[in-house]
Amino acid sequence: MMDKLLFPFVSIVGQEEMKKALLLNIVDPSIGGALLKGEKGTAKSTMVRSLAQILPFREMVEGCPFNCDPNEPDLLCPECAGRLARGEQLRSTKKRMRVVELPLSATEDRVVGTLDIEHVLKTGEKKFEPGVLAQANGNLLYVDEVNLLDDHIVDLLLDSAAMGVNYVEREGVSFSHAARFILVGTMNPEEGELRPQLLDRFGLSVDVKGDKDTAVRMEVVKRRVAFDMDPSEFTKSCQAESDALRERLTKARENVFKVKADDSIIKAIVTITTSFGIDGHRADITMLKAAKANAALEGRDAVTNDDLRAVAALVLSHRMRRRPFEESAFDTEELERCLQSI
Amino acid sequence: MPPVDLRTFPFSAVLGMDDAKRAMQCILVNPNLRTVMIRGGQGTAKTVLARSVGRISGKTIINVPVNVSEEQLFGGMDIDRTIKSGKAVMQPGILSRSDGNILYVDDVNLMDQRILMSLLNSVMDGRVVLEREGISAEYTTDTILIATMNPSDSDVSSHILDRFDLCAYASFPEDESQRAEILRRNTEFQKDPQGFNERYKEEEERLVSNIERARKILPLVSMTDDLLGVSVELASKVLADGYRGDIAMVNTSKALAALNGRDEVMKKDVEEAAMLCLAHRRNYVQEQQQGPLPQEPDEPPEDQEGPPEDQPEQQEEQQNEPEEPQEQQEPPPDMDFQQLLDDMVFEIGDQFRVIDYLNDGRRKVSKTSAKKGRRMMVESSSSSGRYARPRIPSEKTHDIAFDATVRAAAPYQRTRDHSGLAINIQRQDVREKVREMRAGCTILFLVDASGSLGVRKRMSAVKGAILSMLRDSYVKRDRIGMMAFRRDSAELILPPTRSVEYTYRKLEEMPTGGKTPLSEALVTVNEYMTSYSRSHMGEMCYIVMITDGRANVPLDERINANDEALRLAEKMAISQVRWIVVDASAGFIRFDNAERLALALGGTYFRLEDLNADRLAESVRAVIR
Repeated sequence: MMDKLLFPFVSIVGQEEMKKALLLNIVDPSIGGALLKGEKGTAKSTMVRSLAQILPFREMVEGCPFNCDPNEPDLLCPECAGRLARGEQLRSTKKRMRVVELPLSATEDRVVGTLDIEHVLKTGEKKFEPGVLAQANGNLLYVDEVNLLDDHIVDLLLDSAAMGVNYVEREGVSFSHAARFILVGTMNPEEGELRPQLLDRFGLSVDVKGDKDTAVRMEVVKRRVAFDMDPSEFTKSCQAESDALRERLTKARENVFKVKADDSIIKAIVTITTSFGIDGHRADITMLKAAKANAALEGRDAVTNDDLRAVAALVLSHRMRRRPFEESAFDTEELERCLQSI
Repeated sequence: MPPVDLRTFPFSAVLGMDDAKRAMQCILVNPNLRTVMIRGGQGTAKTVLARSVGRISGKTIINVPVNVSEEQLFGGMDIDRTIKSGKAVMQPGILSRSDGNILYVDDVNLMDQRILMSLLNSVMDGRVVLEREGISAEYTTDTILIATMNPSDSDVSSHILDRFDLCAYASFPEDESQRAEILRRNTEFQKDPQGFNERYKEEEERLVSNIERARKILPLVSMTDDLLGVSVELASKVLADGYRGDIAMVNTSKALAALNGRDEVMKKDVEEAAMLCLAHRRNYVQEQQQGPLPQEPDEPPEDQEGPPEDQPEQQEEQQNEPEEPQEQQEPPPDMDFQQLLDDMVFEIGDQFRVIDYLNDGRRKVSKTSAKKGRRMMVESSSSSGRYARPRIPSEKTHDIAFDATVRAAAPYQRTRDHSGLAINIQRQDVREKVREMRAGCTILFLVDASGSLGVRKRMSAVKGAILSMLRDSYVKRDRIGMMAFRRDSAELILPPTRSVEYTYRKLEEMPTGGKTPLSEALVTVNEYMTSYSRSHMGEMCYIVMITDGRANVPLDERINANDEALRLAEKMAISQVRWIVVDASAGFIRFDNAERLALALGGTYFRLEDLNADRLAESVRAVIR
C-alpha cells in the first residue's frame, strides 16, 4: 500500500490542549483515551492521524496478528499461550505504534473479528480472523465522527475498552484476545451528542475551538498550503523536530512509572474532584495518572501542582454534571482555590 | 483529449452560471480543491453543467446514486470470485473506480447523511478505509466530487456543507433575452447535437488549453501576506468555523490567478474566491448572538459576502429577489416596540434566505405539491438501512448476507460435492442481512408565530412546551427541527438536529407577530418533510403543529383561507409522518378551527390550555411511543 504523507504533528499551529491530551495518553495508555470535540475544520482529524509520525516503538510478539505483549503473559492470545505452553520461546520484536482507524461504515464482523473463510476451506479447521480490535491492541484506535457511530458498534467498543479483552462468540468460533488500546474519538457536537456511557469511557476530553487571531490563522493556512504544494519537502523540513518529540515520548514512557506523587498531591486531587462535584473514583485515578504522565513528559520525577493545573480541565470538563442548556466552562478560579487550600 | 460524448452539452455553451463555471475550472486546476457544490432551483442547468465538466477535463463522470449503499460506495465482498476461489475477494466500490475521475451526486441533500459524510471524508483524504463484510482494505483514491442540490428541498447540515471546498449558487436568469438564448441553444442542441458540438469545438478547446496552462502555472503562483490576511479576515468576518474556509480561499485564489495566466494572486481573485468559499460557511447562529453586523438597513445583505467591489454579482442577485424589498417595505400592521425589536431578529433570519435560497423567491406554489407526498411514498422495506450483522433467516430471504453465508458453508466443504465450484452452498447455510435504521425519530415543530399568538403568555407557554420536549430528546437522541409561520411565509428556523443547544438558542430568538399564513405553512412543511423523509428512510417523523388554526392569508385570494387550509390538510400525505396538532387558541369564544384541522390531517389533537408545558411534552411523547 502506498503511504500517503500526513501533515506533520509538530507543524500544527496552536491547539495545545488537544496536543497535550494525545501526548499524555501515549505516555500512559491506561489514562483511557481522549475525546476531541468541537468546531468543524479545526485540524482534529489531521492531528490524530499525524500522530503516526511521532508514535514510539513498543514490544510485541513477533508475527502475532493480535499484537500480543510478551511482557504480559496473562494476556496472551490462545495461539501465543499455546506456543508458550509447548515450551517455545516467544520472540519479541519492537514495532512502531500505529493509528488504527475504525471507519463509520465498519460492520460488526470486521470490528471483533470472525471466521477465516480461506483457512476453513483449505483445511476444514475453524480459525479466527482478527478484526479491528486485534489490530488496535497496543495501538491507538481512532474513530472519526464518533457520535455518528452505530449504537451496536459503540457497545462492542465499550465492552472491550472496559475489560481490555475482546471476547468473540460467533459462527461457531469462540475466541478471546487482549484488546488494550488508546481510544481517540473526534466529533462535532452540532451533529448530536455522545451517548453518556461512551462519554464516561474517555479519560480526557478537549473542547476544540479555532483560533480567531488573524496572525495565527494566517500561519495555519500558510503551513497547510505549503504542505499541500510539496508534502515530502515539508515533512523533511521538520523531521528533526518530529524525531525529538518521539524521543521525548519514549523516555517519558519509560519514566512514567517512576514518577512520584506525595500525599499533598493526592489530597489536592480529591479536594478538586469533590469541589467540582464529581462522583466516583475514576476521575481521581485518571487525574493522578494524567498528572504523572505530564510530569514524565516534562522530564520530572515528581508531580507538582503545576501538573494538576495542566491536566485538571482535560480530566474534569466532560465529567462535570451539567444540564443540557448550561454552557460548560471550566472554572479555573475554583481550581486555584482548591490548590491554595491544601 | 478523449473523444467527446456527443450527448453531453458543451461546457462553454452553458449560459450564465458564471460562479459555478468558475468553481468547476478552479477545481480542475488546483488538486487541493476536491469538493464542489452547486445549489439552485429546478431548471437552472446545474446537472447539465456538472456533466459537461467531463468534456473539458477529459475525465469520466461517475454517477453516485442518491440511494447508494455503503457496499456499493466503498466496496464489499465479490460473490462470484469468492465462490470460485474460496478466498474472500473484494468487490471494488465506486470510490476505487473513481480514482483519477470525477464523482457526481445529484440531489445530494437526499442522500443518507452518514454515508455522505463518509464519502466526503474519503474524497478529501484521498483514502478509503474499509472494514466490512469480511473485507479489510485500505486504498487511495484521487478524485473530485461534484454535488448538486435544490435548497428548497431539505438542506444538508452545516457540518457537511463545510466539507465542500467551493459552493456556487446557480440562479435562473431573469433577463428575457438570455432566457431566449438558452432556449435557442437547447433546441439547436437537441436537433443536431453533432453540429452544435462542432460550433463550440473551438471554444471548448480554448477552455481546455487554458486549464492545462493554469495547471502548469499553479505551483508558481504566489500570494502576498497582505492578501492572505484579507482572506483570513473575510473568513472570520462571516464567522466561519474552523480553518477549511481559509484554506479553500487561498487555494481558490491561486487557481483563479493561474486561470487568468498570472503567477501572482490579485485582490480580484480573493474577492471571487470569497464568493465561492465563504458564502456557504457563514455562521448565522453566532452572528445572531453577537447581534447584527453593523450595516445600512437598505443595503442588500449579500453585500457582506464579498468585498464591496462585487458590483456585477450583486446586481444579478438583486434581480433575483424581486419580492424581497417589497416585503421589507410593507408596514407591520399590529406591532408594538418590542415586536419591532423581535422583527430585527427575524430580518437576520431573512439573510439566510437571500444567500441559500437564491432561487427561492420565484417558487410558486404548485398545484401538484400536495400529491407529491403520495406519489413518493416509500415503504420502509427490509432491504434499506445499514447492514449490521447476519442472522439465520426464518423464511425465504432476498437480502442474503453473503459473507456470513460463505462462512457458514465453509466448514462442510470437505464433505460436499463440488462439481467445479470452490464452495458448495446449501440452503441451511444461507444467512440474511440484519439491517438497522437509525434509532430515534424526528420531531418538527410547526409553530404559529402570528400576531394572534403574539399574546405574550401564549407564546411563552408554547416555547416552554417545546423546551421540555427538547430536554426529553437530549436523552432519547431524537432530532428536533423548527419551522415558524407568520405574515405570508413559513420559515424553516432550524433543520432537524440532535444538538439541543442549537435548538434552544433558535427558540429563544423566535419572533412573533403578523398574519397567519396557514396554507403556506402546510405547503412548505409538506415539501420539506417529503424530501426529508426520503433522505431519512425508516425514521419516523412527527410534525407537532402549534396553532389556533385561524388562517387569514390564503394562497389563492378568491378562496377563504380556512377552507383552503382544510382542503390542503386533507390532501396531505407524507410518508413516515404523523401529525400532532396543539390548539393554542385563547379567549371566551372558542373556535374549533384547530380541531377540524387535526381531523383533516388525521392527527392527534391537544389543547394547550389544558396542559402545562411539561404535560404537553408528556402527551406528545405518549403519542409518539
